[in-house]
Amino acid sequence: MKIRVWGARGSLSAPGPATVGYGGNTSCVEVELADGTSLILDAGSGIRELGQRLLGREQGELHICLTHLHVDHVEGLGFFGPLWRAGWKLRFWGPPSTTATLRERVSRYLSPPLFPIGLSEAPAEAVFEDAPREPWRIGSAVIEAQMVEHRGPTLGYRIEDEGRVLAYVPDHEPYLTAALGDEPKWISGWALAAGADLLLHDSQYTDEEYLGRLGWGHSSVTHAANFARAAGVRQLAMFHHDPMRSDRELEELYDQVADSLRRDQEPPLIAREGLEVILG
Amino acid sequence: MERKQPDLVLIVARSFATKLATPTLIIDANGNLVYFNDAASDVLGRSYLEIGTLHASRWQELFQPRTLDEEPLTAEQTPGGIALLERRPVHDSFVMRGLDGREREITVTAFPLFSQPDEVVGVMSIFWERPAKS
Ligand SMILES: [Zn+2]
Ligand SMILES: [Zn+2]
Repeated sequence: MKIRVWGARGSLSAPGPATVGYGGNTSCVEVELADGTSLILDAGSGIRELGQRLLGREQGELHICLTHLHVDHVEGLGFFGPLWRAGWKLRFWGPPSTTATLRERVSRYLSPPLFPIGLSEAPAEAVFEDAPREPWRIGSAVIEAQMVEHRGPTLGYRIEDEGRVLAYVPDHEPYLTAALGDEPKWISGWALAAGADLLLHDSQYTDEEYLGRLGWGHSSVTHAANFARAAGVRQLAMFHHDPMRSDRELEELYDQVADSLRRDQEPPLIAREGLEVILG
Repeated sequence: MERKQPDLVLIVARSFATKLATPTLIIDANGNLVYFNDAASDVLGRSYLEIGTLHASRWQELFQPRTLDEEPLTAEQTPGGIALLERRPVHDSFVMRGLDGREREITVTAFPLFSQPDEVVGVMSIFWERPAKS
Protein backbone atom coordinates (compact mmCIF):
# COMPACT_ATOMS: atom_id res chain seq x y z
CA MET A 1 0.00 0.00 0.00
CA LYS A 2 1.05 3.54 -0.69
CA ILE A 3 0.52 6.11 2.04
CA ARG A 4 0.54 9.85 1.41
CA VAL A 5 0.09 12.53 4.06
CA TRP A 6 -2.06 15.52 3.01
CA GLY A 7 -2.40 17.07 6.46
CA ALA A 8 -0.59 16.30 9.73
CA ARG A 9 -1.53 19.29 11.86
CA GLY A 10 -3.75 18.87 14.91
CA SER A 11 -6.67 20.88 16.28
CA LEU A 12 -6.45 23.93 13.99
CA SER A 13 -5.00 24.70 10.56
CA ALA A 14 -1.72 26.53 10.98
CA PRO A 15 -0.46 28.00 7.70
CA GLY A 16 2.43 30.44 7.62
CA PRO A 17 6.17 30.71 7.18
CA ALA A 18 6.95 28.95 10.49
CA THR A 19 5.07 25.78 9.50
CA VAL A 20 5.67 25.64 5.76
CA GLY A 21 8.07 22.70 6.07
CA TYR A 22 5.70 20.20 7.71
CA GLY A 23 2.52 21.95 6.64
CA GLY A 24 -0.44 23.60 8.27
CA ASN A 25 -3.34 21.44 7.03
CA THR A 26 -5.25 19.31 9.50
CA SER A 27 -5.46 15.49 9.46
CA CYS A 28 -5.84 13.72 6.14
CA VAL A 29 -3.98 10.66 4.89
CA GLU A 30 -4.48 8.90 1.57
CA VAL A 31 -3.91 5.16 1.34
CA GLU A 32 -3.78 3.49 -2.03
CA LEU A 33 -4.29 -0.23 -1.51
CA ALA A 34 -2.52 -2.95 -3.48
CA ASP A 35 -5.60 -3.47 -5.67
CA GLY A 36 -5.91 0.26 -6.42
CA THR A 37 -8.74 0.99 -3.96
CA SER A 38 -8.58 4.52 -2.51
CA LEU A 39 -8.91 4.88 1.22
CA ILE A 40 -8.84 8.25 2.95
CA LEU A 41 -8.17 8.61 6.66
CA ASP A 42 -9.93 11.69 8.07
CA ALA A 43 -11.18 14.75 6.27
CA GLY A 44 -9.25 17.64 7.78
CA SER A 45 -8.29 20.59 5.61
CA GLY A 46 -5.65 18.44 3.87
CA ILE A 47 -8.44 16.67 1.98
CA ARG A 48 -9.06 19.80 -0.15
CA GLU A 49 -5.89 19.36 -2.16
CA LEU A 50 -6.28 15.58 -2.29
CA GLY A 51 -9.75 16.17 -3.79
CA GLN A 52 -8.27 18.35 -6.54
CA ARG A 53 -5.87 15.53 -7.39
CA LEU A 54 -8.69 12.95 -7.42
CA LEU A 55 -10.81 15.02 -9.80
CA GLY A 56 -8.18 14.36 -12.43
CA ARG A 57 -8.83 10.63 -12.19
CA GLU A 58 -11.67 8.50 -13.44
CA GLN A 59 -14.75 8.80 -11.20
CA GLY A 60 -15.31 5.91 -8.86
CA GLU A 61 -15.74 4.87 -5.25
CA LEU A 62 -13.79 6.34 -2.35
CA HIS A 63 -13.74 5.11 1.25
CA ILE A 64 -13.35 7.79 3.92
CA CYS A 65 -12.57 6.50 7.41
CA LEU A 66 -13.25 9.16 10.05
CA THR A 67 -11.65 8.71 13.45
CA HIS A 68 -14.11 11.13 15.06
CA LEU A 69 -16.14 14.24 14.45
CA HIS A 70 -13.94 16.96 15.91
CA VAL A 71 -13.77 19.82 13.44
CA ASP A 72 -10.10 19.32 12.55
CA HIS A 73 -11.05 15.88 11.16
CA VAL A 74 -14.08 16.89 9.04
CA GLU A 75 -13.51 20.55 8.17
CA GLY A 76 -12.14 19.80 4.68
CA LEU A 77 -15.34 18.14 3.41
CA GLY A 78 -16.88 21.42 2.31
CA PHE A 79 -14.08 21.79 -0.22
CA PHE A 80 -13.55 18.13 -1.12
CA GLY A 81 -14.04 18.12 -4.90
CA PRO A 82 -15.49 14.61 -5.37
CA LEU A 83 -18.29 15.33 -2.86
CA TRP A 84 -19.48 18.19 -5.05
CA ARG A 85 -19.41 16.34 -8.41
CA ALA A 86 -22.10 13.92 -9.52
CA GLY A 87 -20.76 10.49 -10.40
CA TRP A 88 -18.56 9.91 -7.36
CA LYS A 89 -19.56 7.46 -4.66
CA LEU A 90 -18.24 8.24 -1.18
CA ARG A 91 -18.51 5.68 1.58
CA PHE A 92 -17.93 7.17 5.00
CA TRP A 93 -17.07 5.08 8.05
CA GLY A 94 -16.94 6.51 11.56
CA PRO A 95 -17.45 5.95 15.27
CA PRO A 96 -20.87 4.82 16.51
CA SER A 97 -23.06 7.04 18.66
CA THR A 98 -26.13 6.33 20.75
CA THR A 99 -27.73 9.66 19.86
CA ALA A 100 -27.32 10.37 16.13
CA THR A 101 -26.36 8.66 12.89
CA LEU A 102 -22.98 9.35 11.32
CA ARG A 103 -24.69 11.33 8.53
CA GLU A 104 -26.47 13.51 11.10
CA ARG A 105 -23.26 14.14 12.99
CA VAL A 106 -21.27 15.08 9.87
CA SER A 107 -24.21 17.30 8.84
CA ARG A 108 -23.90 19.31 12.03
CA TYR A 109 -20.76 20.81 10.57
CA LEU A 110 -21.84 20.73 6.91
CA SER A 111 -24.96 22.83 7.39
CA PRO A 112 -25.88 26.44 8.30
CA PRO A 113 -24.87 28.31 10.35
CA LEU A 114 -21.44 26.62 10.38
CA PHE A 115 -21.34 26.04 6.59
CA PRO A 116 -23.55 27.66 3.93
CA ILE A 117 -24.37 24.50 1.98
CA GLY A 118 -25.98 21.40 3.45
CA LEU A 119 -24.74 17.85 2.92
CA SER A 120 -28.07 16.98 1.28
CA GLU A 121 -27.18 19.36 -1.55
CA ALA A 122 -23.96 17.50 -2.42
CA PRO A 123 -24.32 15.88 -5.86
CA ALA A 124 -22.09 12.88 -5.12
CA GLU A 125 -23.60 9.71 -3.67
CA ALA A 126 -22.59 9.72 -0.01
CA VAL A 127 -23.20 6.70 2.21
CA PHE A 128 -22.54 6.78 5.96
CA GLU A 129 -21.97 3.76 8.15
CA ASP A 130 -20.78 3.13 11.67
CA ALA A 131 -17.48 1.25 11.48
CA PRO A 132 -18.15 -2.45 12.10
CA ARG A 133 -17.13 -3.85 15.48
CA GLU A 134 -15.28 -6.72 13.80
CA PRO A 135 -12.56 -6.35 11.13
CA TRP A 136 -13.97 -5.90 7.62
CA ARG A 137 -12.66 -5.85 4.09
CA ILE A 138 -12.21 -2.85 1.82
CA GLY A 139 -10.60 -3.72 -1.50
CA SER A 140 -7.51 -5.82 -0.87
CA ALA A 141 -7.19 -4.73 2.78
CA VAL A 142 -8.64 -5.82 6.10
CA ILE A 143 -9.63 -2.83 8.22
CA GLU A 144 -9.99 -2.88 11.97
CA ALA A 145 -11.48 0.01 13.94
CA GLN A 146 -11.38 0.21 17.73
CA MET A 147 -12.40 2.87 20.21
CA VAL A 148 -9.43 4.68 21.75
CA GLU A 149 -8.99 7.08 24.66
CA HIS A 150 -9.79 10.64 23.54
CA ARG A 151 -12.55 13.17 24.26
CA GLY A 152 -15.79 11.66 22.91
CA PRO A 153 -16.26 8.51 20.81
CA THR A 154 -13.05 8.15 18.78
CA LEU A 155 -11.68 5.37 16.63
CA GLY A 156 -8.18 4.30 15.68
CA TYR A 157 -7.69 2.28 12.49
CA ARG A 158 -5.49 -0.65 11.56
CA ILE A 159 -5.12 -1.38 7.85
CA GLU A 160 -3.55 -4.64 6.78
CA ASP A 161 -2.84 -5.04 3.08
CA GLU A 162 -0.77 -7.87 1.62
CA GLY A 163 0.79 -8.61 5.01
CA ARG A 164 1.87 -5.03 5.78
CA VAL A 165 0.21 -2.96 8.50
CA LEU A 166 -0.51 0.73 8.89
CA ALA A 167 -1.94 1.95 12.22
CA TYR A 168 -3.56 5.38 12.34
CA VAL A 169 -4.30 6.86 15.78
CA PRO A 170 -4.11 10.63 15.39
CA ASP A 171 -6.00 11.70 18.54
CA HIS A 172 -5.10 9.57 21.50
CA GLU A 173 -4.16 9.81 25.17
CA PRO A 174 -3.04 6.27 26.07
CA TYR A 175 -1.14 7.55 29.10
CA LEU A 176 -4.40 7.74 31.07
CA THR A 177 -4.83 3.99 30.71
CA ALA A 178 -1.22 2.97 31.28
CA ALA A 179 -1.06 3.88 34.98
CA LEU A 180 -0.68 0.33 36.28
CA GLY A 181 2.25 -0.50 34.05
CA ASP A 182 0.99 -4.08 33.63
CA GLU A 183 0.21 -6.07 30.49
CA PRO A 184 0.13 -3.89 27.34
CA LYS A 185 -3.35 -5.19 26.44
CA TRP A 186 -4.66 -2.78 29.11
CA ILE A 187 -3.25 0.23 27.23
CA SER A 188 -5.81 1.96 24.98
CA GLY A 189 -5.13 1.33 21.29
CA TRP A 190 -2.45 -1.31 21.83
CA ALA A 191 -4.09 -4.02 19.70
CA LEU A 192 -4.47 -1.63 16.77
CA ALA A 193 -0.80 -0.74 16.73
CA ALA A 194 0.76 -4.04 17.84
CA GLY A 195 3.51 -5.03 15.42
CA ALA A 196 2.51 -2.41 12.82
CA ASP A 197 5.01 -1.45 10.12
CA LEU A 198 4.06 2.20 10.44
CA LEU A 199 2.14 4.01 13.20
CA LEU A 200 0.86 7.54 12.64
CA HIS A 201 0.31 8.69 16.22
CA ASP A 202 -0.74 11.77 18.17
CA SER A 203 2.42 13.67 19.24
CA GLN A 204 0.80 16.96 20.07
CA TYR A 205 2.52 18.15 23.23
CA THR A 206 5.93 18.61 24.75
CA ASP A 207 6.29 16.89 28.12
CA GLU A 208 5.97 20.27 29.88
CA GLU A 209 2.81 21.21 27.96
CA TYR A 210 1.19 17.86 28.75
CA LEU A 211 1.35 18.53 32.49
CA GLY A 212 -1.13 21.38 32.03
CA ARG A 213 -3.33 19.46 29.56
CA LEU A 214 -3.85 16.13 31.26
CA GLY A 215 -7.14 14.63 30.10
CA TRP A 216 -7.45 16.82 27.00
CA GLY A 217 -7.22 13.70 24.84
CA HIS A 218 -3.72 14.00 23.37
CA SER A 219 -0.22 12.65 23.88
CA SER A 220 3.13 14.17 24.68
CA VAL A 221 5.94 13.14 22.34
CA THR A 222 7.33 10.92 25.10
CA HIS A 223 3.98 9.18 25.51
CA ALA A 224 3.82 8.63 21.75
CA ALA A 225 7.26 7.01 21.85
CA ASN A 226 6.36 4.91 24.90
CA PHE A 227 3.19 3.73 23.15
CA ALA A 228 5.17 2.82 20.01
CA ARG A 229 7.60 0.84 22.18
CA ALA A 230 4.84 -1.00 24.03
CA ALA A 231 3.17 -1.90 20.72
CA GLY A 232 6.46 -2.93 19.11
CA VAL A 233 5.82 -0.94 15.93
CA ARG A 234 8.54 -0.90 13.32
CA GLN A 235 8.35 2.84 12.74
CA LEU A 236 6.56 5.72 14.45
CA ALA A 237 5.53 8.85 12.58
CA MET A 238 4.84 11.86 14.79
CA PHE A 239 1.41 13.20 13.78
CA HIS A 240 -1.26 15.75 14.84
CA HIS A 241 1.32 18.47 15.45
CA ASP A 242 0.22 21.25 17.76
CA PRO A 243 -0.86 24.35 15.77
CA MET A 244 1.58 26.45 17.82
CA ARG A 245 4.56 24.23 16.91
CA SER A 246 6.99 25.68 14.34
CA ASP A 247 9.04 23.50 11.99
CA ARG A 248 12.15 24.20 14.04
CA GLU A 249 10.43 23.23 17.30
CA LEU A 250 9.14 20.00 15.75
CA GLU A 251 12.68 19.07 14.78
CA GLU A 252 13.87 19.81 18.30
CA LEU A 253 11.30 17.30 19.62
CA TYR A 254 12.41 14.69 17.09
CA ASP A 255 15.61 13.77 18.95
CA GLN A 256 13.69 13.25 22.16
CA VAL A 257 11.36 10.78 20.38
CA ALA A 258 14.22 9.01 18.63
CA ASP A 259 16.04 8.51 21.94
CA SER A 260 12.95 7.03 23.59
CA LEU A 261 12.50 4.26 21.02
CA ARG A 262 14.10 0.84 21.11
CA ARG A 263 17.29 0.21 19.16
CA ASP A 264 15.49 -2.35 16.97
CA GLN A 265 12.91 0.23 15.90
CA GLU A 266 13.44 2.39 12.82
CA PRO A 267 14.22 6.06 13.45
CA PRO A 268 10.92 7.95 13.72
CA LEU A 269 9.45 10.23 11.07
CA ILE A 270 7.87 13.64 11.44
CA ALA A 271 4.73 13.45 9.32
CA ARG A 272 4.66 16.29 6.81
CA GLU A 273 2.42 17.17 3.90
CA GLY A 274 3.64 15.29 0.87
CA LEU A 275 5.34 12.52 2.85
CA GLU A 276 4.97 9.22 1.01
CA VAL A 277 5.64 5.81 2.48
CA ILE A 278 5.27 2.59 0.54
CA LEU A 279 4.66 -0.55 2.57
CA GLY A 280 5.15 -3.81 0.71
CA MET B 1 1.30 -12.37 18.35
CA GLU B 2 -2.06 -12.52 20.17
CA ARG B 3 -3.53 -9.07 19.57
CA LYS B 4 -6.82 -9.40 21.46
CA GLN B 5 -7.50 -6.68 23.96
CA PRO B 6 -10.37 -5.78 26.28
CA ASP B 7 -12.97 -3.21 25.24
CA LEU B 8 -11.98 0.42 25.86
CA VAL B 9 -14.81 0.82 28.39
CA LEU B 10 -13.29 -1.92 30.54
CA ILE B 11 -9.82 -0.42 30.12
CA VAL B 12 -11.03 3.03 31.14
CA ALA B 13 -13.10 1.64 34.04
CA ARG B 14 -9.96 0.01 35.33
CA SER B 15 -7.92 3.18 35.08
CA PHE B 16 -10.75 5.12 36.77
CA ALA B 17 -10.72 2.58 39.63
CA THR B 18 -6.97 3.08 40.15
CA LYS B 19 -7.76 6.67 41.07
CA LEU B 20 -10.75 6.01 43.35
CA ALA B 21 -10.35 6.04 47.12
CA THR B 22 -13.48 3.85 47.42
CA PRO B 23 -12.91 0.07 47.30
CA THR B 24 -13.68 -0.94 43.72
CA LEU B 25 -13.55 -4.28 41.92
CA ILE B 26 -14.02 -5.01 38.22
CA ILE B 27 -15.00 -8.23 36.47
CA ASP B 28 -15.09 -8.78 32.72
CA ALA B 29 -17.96 -10.10 30.60
CA ASN B 30 -17.02 -13.69 31.54
CA GLY B 31 -17.08 -12.93 35.27
CA ASN B 32 -13.30 -13.02 35.62
CA LEU B 33 -11.78 -10.65 38.16
CA VAL B 34 -9.67 -8.21 36.15
CA TYR B 35 -8.87 -5.56 38.73
CA PHE B 36 -9.39 -4.22 42.23
CA ASN B 37 -7.89 -1.02 43.53
CA ASP B 38 -5.70 -0.30 46.53
CA ALA B 39 -8.68 0.68 48.69
CA ALA B 40 -10.23 -2.73 47.93
CA SER B 41 -7.00 -4.46 48.97
CA ASP B 42 -7.70 -3.47 52.57
CA VAL B 43 -11.06 -5.26 52.45
CA LEU B 44 -9.96 -8.25 50.38
CA GLY B 45 -6.80 -8.78 52.40
CA ARG B 46 -4.28 -8.83 49.52
CA SER B 47 -3.27 -6.43 46.73
CA TYR B 48 -4.16 -6.85 43.07
CA LEU B 49 -0.49 -7.05 42.15
CA GLU B 50 -0.15 -10.05 44.48
CA ILE B 51 -3.18 -11.83 43.07
CA GLY B 52 -3.48 -10.72 39.43
CA THR B 53 -6.46 -11.54 37.23
CA LEU B 54 -8.53 -14.49 38.45
CA HIS B 55 -10.94 -16.85 36.74
CA ALA B 56 -14.55 -16.48 37.94
CA SER B 57 -14.62 -19.83 39.79
CA ARG B 58 -11.28 -19.17 41.44
CA TRP B 59 -12.07 -15.83 43.06
CA GLN B 60 -15.38 -17.22 44.24
CA GLU B 61 -13.52 -20.03 45.97
CA LEU B 62 -10.98 -17.65 47.51
CA PHE B 63 -13.43 -15.14 48.98
CA GLN B 64 -16.21 -17.61 49.93
CA PRO B 65 -19.16 -15.23 49.64
CA ARG B 66 -22.20 -16.06 51.79
CA THR B 67 -25.52 -14.44 52.61
CA LEU B 68 -25.86 -12.69 55.95
CA ASP B 69 -27.49 -15.99 57.08
CA GLU B 70 -24.37 -17.92 56.08
CA GLU B 71 -25.89 -19.54 52.96
CA PRO B 72 -23.14 -19.97 50.32
CA LEU B 73 -23.48 -17.75 47.25
CA THR B 74 -22.48 -18.86 43.77
CA ALA B 75 -20.76 -16.37 41.47
CA GLU B 76 -24.09 -15.76 39.73
CA GLN B 77 -25.77 -14.90 43.04
CA THR B 78 -23.36 -12.17 44.15
CA PRO B 79 -24.30 -8.56 43.31
CA GLY B 80 -21.62 -8.51 40.58
CA GLY B 81 -22.90 -11.76 39.10
CA ILE B 82 -26.51 -10.56 39.06
CA ALA B 83 -25.49 -7.21 37.52
CA LEU B 84 -23.68 -9.11 34.75
CA LEU B 85 -26.36 -11.71 34.02
CA GLU B 86 -29.41 -9.47 34.36
CA ARG B 87 -27.73 -6.30 33.04
CA ARG B 88 -28.99 -4.12 35.86
CA PRO B 89 -27.57 -2.35 38.91
CA VAL B 90 -27.68 -4.26 42.19
CA HIS B 91 -27.21 -3.12 45.78
CA ASP B 92 -26.85 -5.73 48.52
CA SER B 93 -24.85 -6.94 51.50
CA PHE B 94 -23.11 -10.26 52.09
CA VAL B 95 -20.35 -11.91 54.06
CA MET B 96 -16.95 -12.88 52.68
CA ARG B 97 -13.60 -14.05 53.91
CA GLY B 98 -10.59 -11.79 53.20
CA LEU B 99 -7.36 -13.38 52.05
CA ASP B 100 -5.93 -12.44 55.43
CA GLY B 101 -8.44 -14.95 56.88
CA ARG B 102 -10.73 -12.33 58.47
CA GLU B 103 -14.52 -12.52 57.92
CA ARG B 104 -16.16 -9.32 56.74
CA GLU B 105 -19.66 -8.07 56.09
CA ILE B 106 -19.68 -5.90 53.01
CA THR B 107 -22.24 -3.78 51.19
CA VAL B 108 -21.88 -3.64 47.41
CA THR B 109 -23.23 -1.48 44.62
CA ALA B 110 -22.60 -3.26 41.33
CA PHE B 111 -23.50 -1.95 37.87
CA PRO B 112 -23.00 -3.29 34.36
CA LEU B 113 -20.61 -1.50 31.99
CA PHE B 114 -22.29 -1.05 28.62
CA SER B 115 -19.94 -0.27 25.73
CA GLN B 116 -22.88 -0.25 23.28
CA PRO B 117 -26.60 -0.24 24.05
CA ASP B 118 -26.60 -4.03 23.53
CA GLU B 119 -23.17 -4.96 24.82
CA VAL B 120 -22.01 -5.42 28.41
CA VAL B 121 -18.24 -5.71 28.74
CA GLY B 122 -18.04 -6.15 32.51
CA VAL B 123 -19.24 -4.98 35.91
CA MET B 124 -17.90 -2.40 38.31
CA SER B 125 -18.56 -3.09 42.01
CA ILE B 126 -18.02 -0.45 44.64
CA PHE B 127 -18.16 -1.71 48.19
CA TRP B 128 -17.92 -0.81 51.84
CA GLU B 129 -17.06 -2.94 54.82
CA ARG B 130 -19.94 -2.78 57.29
CA PRO B 131 -18.93 -1.92 60.82
CA ALA B 132 -18.49 -5.08 62.91
CA LYS B 133 -21.50 -5.95 65.06
CA SER B 134 -20.93 -5.52 68.77
ZN1 LIG C 1 -7.68 16.19 16.15
ZN1 LIG D 1 -10.00 15.15 18.52
